[in-house]
Amino acid sequence: MRPVDDTAHSQDLLLFLASTAHDMKNSISVLSGTLEGLLVKAGPQADAAYPQMAQMLYQTRRLNDNLMQLLALYKRVGTPEYPFDVQAIEAGQLLDQVVALGRVLLDAKGIVLEVEADRDLIWHLDEDLIVGVVSHAVNNAMHYTRDRIRLSLREADGLLEIRVEDNGAGYPQPLLAAGAAGLHGAASGIDFRTNSAGLGLYFSREVARMHRHRGREGGVRLENGGAFGGGCFILSLP
Amino acid sequence: MNGLVKSALATNTPAQAKAEPVDWAGKNYLVVDDFIGVRQLLRESLRSLGAKNIDQAASGGEAIGLLAKIRYDVVLCDFNLGDGKNGQQVLEEARVRNLLLPSSVWMMVSAEKSVESVMGAAEHQPDAYLVKPITEGVLLTRLNRAWHRKQVFRPIDQAFAEKDYLRAARLCDEQIEASRVHEVELLRMKARLMEKSGEPEKAREAYERVLAQREYQWARAGLAKIRLANGEFEQARQMFQGVIAENRYYIDAYDQLALAYQGMGKFEEACSILERAAKLSPNSVPRQRSLGQICLKLGNIGMAEKAFRKCIAVGEYSVRRTPDAYLGLARVCGLKNDPKEAQALLAAAQREFSEAHPDMDLRAKITEGLVYHESGDYRRARKAGDELEALLDAREERPDTATCLEMATLLFAVGVKEAPSELLCYVARNNHDNPVLLDEVQAIFDKARLADEGGDLIRASKKEAADLMNQGVLLWKTGKLQEAVDWMREARAKLPNNQRILFNAAQVLISHMREQGHDEALALEAHAVLTHVDRLQPGQQRFAQLMEQLAALAPKEAAEPPAAVDTTA
Repeated sequence: MRPVDDTAHSQDLLLFLASTAHDMKNSISVLSGTLEGLLVKAGPQADAAYPQMAQMLYQTRRLNDNLMQLLALYKRVGTPEYPFDVQAIEAGQLLDQVVALGRVLLDAKGIVLEVEADRDLIWHLDEDLIVGVVSHAVNNAMHYTRDRIRLSLREADGLLEIRVEDNGAGYPQPLLAAGAAGLHGAASGIDFRTNSAGLGLYFSREVARMHRHRGREGGVRLENGGAFGGGCFILSLP
Repeated sequence: MNGLVKSALATNTPAQAKAEPVDWAGKNYLVVDDFIGVRQLLRESLRSLGAKNIDQAASGGEAIGLLAKIRYDVVLCDFNLGDGKNGQQVLEEARVRNLLLPSSVWMMVSAEKSVESVMGAAEHQPDAYLVKPITEGVLLTRLNRAWHRKQVFRPIDQAFAEKDYLRAARLCDEQIEASRVHEVELLRMKARLMEKSGEPEKAREAYERVLAQREYQWARAGLAKIRLANGEFEQARQMFQGVIAENRYYIDAYDQLALAYQGMGKFEEACSILERAAKLSPNSVPRQRSLGQICLKLGNIGMAEKAFRKCIAVGEYSVRRTPDAYLGLARVCGLKNDPKEAQALLAAAQREFSEAHPDMDLRAKITEGLVYHESGDYRRARKAGDELEALLDAREERPDTATCLEMATLLFAVGVKEAPSELLCYVARNNHDNPVLLDEVQAIFDKARLADEGGDLIRASKKEAADLMNQGVLLWKTGKLQEAVDWMREARAKLPNNQRILFNAAQVLISHMREQGHDEALALEAHAVLTHVDRLQPGQQRFAQLMEQLAALAPKEAAEPPAAVDTTA
C-alpha cells in the first residue's frame, strides 16, 4: 500500500484515500455512538429490537476495529515509520478505558466482565495501541464466551501480562495454530488468504513487538483453558 | 444502565475516586471540528460528564474568535480543520496571545495517530493527543489525567514563567518523590530547565535517569543535543542518526542533525537532511526557513526558492511567520536577475513586519543592497548603501549583532567607509570579551583592506568597555553600592548589549538590595536587565543564578510574578 512512485497523481490519490478513510472513521464513530445511546435508552424489556440492536453495535465495533487496524497497518505499525508513542501509564487507567469501551455492548449482551488488576502498577507503553488491542480482544471474547469474561493484569517475571479469558468453548484450532506459529517466529503465522480472523491477531502481535526493553520484546499468545476453561488471549509487554 | 452487569464490575467506576474528583460539570468547553457530526458526538459525550457550557467552532478562525472572548477550561480541537489554520496553529496563536488560562486543558484530536505527537520539539504542545473515535470512557480518563498533571506541574510552570529555572528544577525534584507516574515527564522538564540554566551536566544526569528506565528517544536526543552544544559534532551526529533509525518521525532529530553537519562544515549533508525533514513535515516555518537559507548558501537557487515560498505559504496562518523568508526569497530573485520581484518582496516584508520588527527597514535595505550588488548593478547597490547610512544616522539604537555585521559587510562592499566602521566598533564594545566574535569583526575589516585600522579600533573599543566595567566592579568591591548602581546604569546606557556589563549591573543591584533591603523599583530594574541578557543569549549559568537570587529577595507576600507571563521562553 506504499506509494510506488512520487508522481503528483499518486500523491493526490493517496491523499484522497486517506481522507476517505478518515471520513469513514468519522461515520462509524457517529454510528456506534448513536447506537450506544439508543441501547442505553431502550433497555431490554422496552424494546423488542434490543437484541438486534446489540448485534448491530457488535458488528459496528468490528468494522471500527478492523478499520483502525488497517489504518495503523497502513501507517506501518511495527516499523520505525509508525509514530510510536510510549508513555508511563497507570494500569488502572488503562483498564478503565477498555472497560468503558465495552460497557454498553457487554450490558446489552448480558455478559459479566470481571476485572482483576494491580491498579497502581505503572508501565511504559503506547496507550492508544494497547487500549485498541485489549479492547479488540474483549470484543472477540464476546463472540466466543457464554456469559463471562475475565480481564486481568499483573506483573510477571518483569513483563506486564494482560489476559482476556472467557467461559466459552475455546478458540478454534486454526486460530490456535496461527497463535502458536507466531510464537516460534514463523513469519506472522497467519495465512491471510484463508484466515479472516487473522487481521486482529496480526495487528496485536505487531503492536506487542514494537514494545521493546532491554533486549526483550512484547508478544501475544492464544490458549484454551485459563481461569474459566474457555479461550484465553495473553498479551505480554516488557 | 440496565443493571445486567453487576458487582463483578467493581472497578468499572473509574479511578477518579482515588485522586480528588474533578468537577467536570461546571467547566467551560470549546469543541473545534469542521465535521458537524463529530461536534455533536463530542458535545453528547461532554454532556454525559455533566457539562453544560459547551461552545462549538467549525474552523480555526472561528475558534480564535471565541477564544479571544471566553476563557475556556477545556478545549477539544481537531488537528485537521480543512482550509485555513490547523489545530496546532490555533493552539500556538492561543498560547502566544495569552488566550488560555494557565489551568486550561487543551486536547488535540486527530483522525489517526498523529505524527505531531512524537515529533519532539513542537514548542507548543497540547496537554494530550486523542485519536478518533473518541468515546466517553477514554475522554474522561484522559481529561482527568491531563487535569491532575496540570496540578503537579502548576508550581513548576509558574517558576518557569518567572524564569526562575533553578527553583523550578528543585520543584521538579520534590514532585518526583510525590508522583511516580509523572517521574519521566518531570525529569524531562528538569533536564530542559538545567539546559536553560547553563548546567548541561545536570541536564545530562536527568536524561540518563530516564534512559535507565526506558529507551525514550527524546532523552537520547537530549544527550545528543548536549554533545552538539559542546561542539562534539561527530558524536552528536551518530546519536541523532540512532534516534532517527528508531523512529523515523522524530523530526527534531533531523533539525539537530543538520546543525551537527553544519558544525562540521558539511553543508551539503545538512541540506539533504533538512530536505528529508521538510518532506516528512513540511508545515514548519523555521524548518523551511533553515532549508531556504542553507540552499542559498550552497547556491541551490531552485530549492531555496521552493523552501522560501513554502515558508511564506505556511506562515500565512501561523504566529511564527517570519520576514526571513521574504528577505531570502528577494535574494533568490536577485540571483535570478529579477530585481523587480525582489523589490516587491522587500516592500511586502516591510508592510507586514515593521510593527513587530523595528529593524525591518534596515534589514530590507541591506537585502536590497545585496540584491543589486550580486546582480552587478553597483550604482544602485551604492545608492542602497547611502540610504542605509541615512537610516542609521536617523536613529540611536542599533540592531542585533548579526544584522550589524551583515550591514557592515554590505556597506564596505558598496564603498561606504565610515558607517560600517562605527557599526563594527559598536559590536566590539558590546562584546569585548567574546574573542570569536571579535575575530569575525577583524575579518570584515580585513576584507575591506582596513586590517590595521580595524585592529586599532577593536582594541580601543575593548578598552573602553573594560574600563567602564572595571570602575563599576571597583566601586562595588569597595562597598560604595549606591555609586556602583549609578555607574553601572550609565555603563548600560553606553553599552546596552554588553552581556558582562549587564550581568554585573544586575549583580550590583542585587547586592544593593541585600544590604539595604528589598526595593520594588530596583527589583524590576534587575529583572528587566536579566530578561534582556537572556534574550541576547539564552541558557547562561549566571542568568539562572542571578534570577534565583533575585527571586529569593522578594518579600513573600509579593511573590507574584511580573505581569507578563511568557511561557514561550
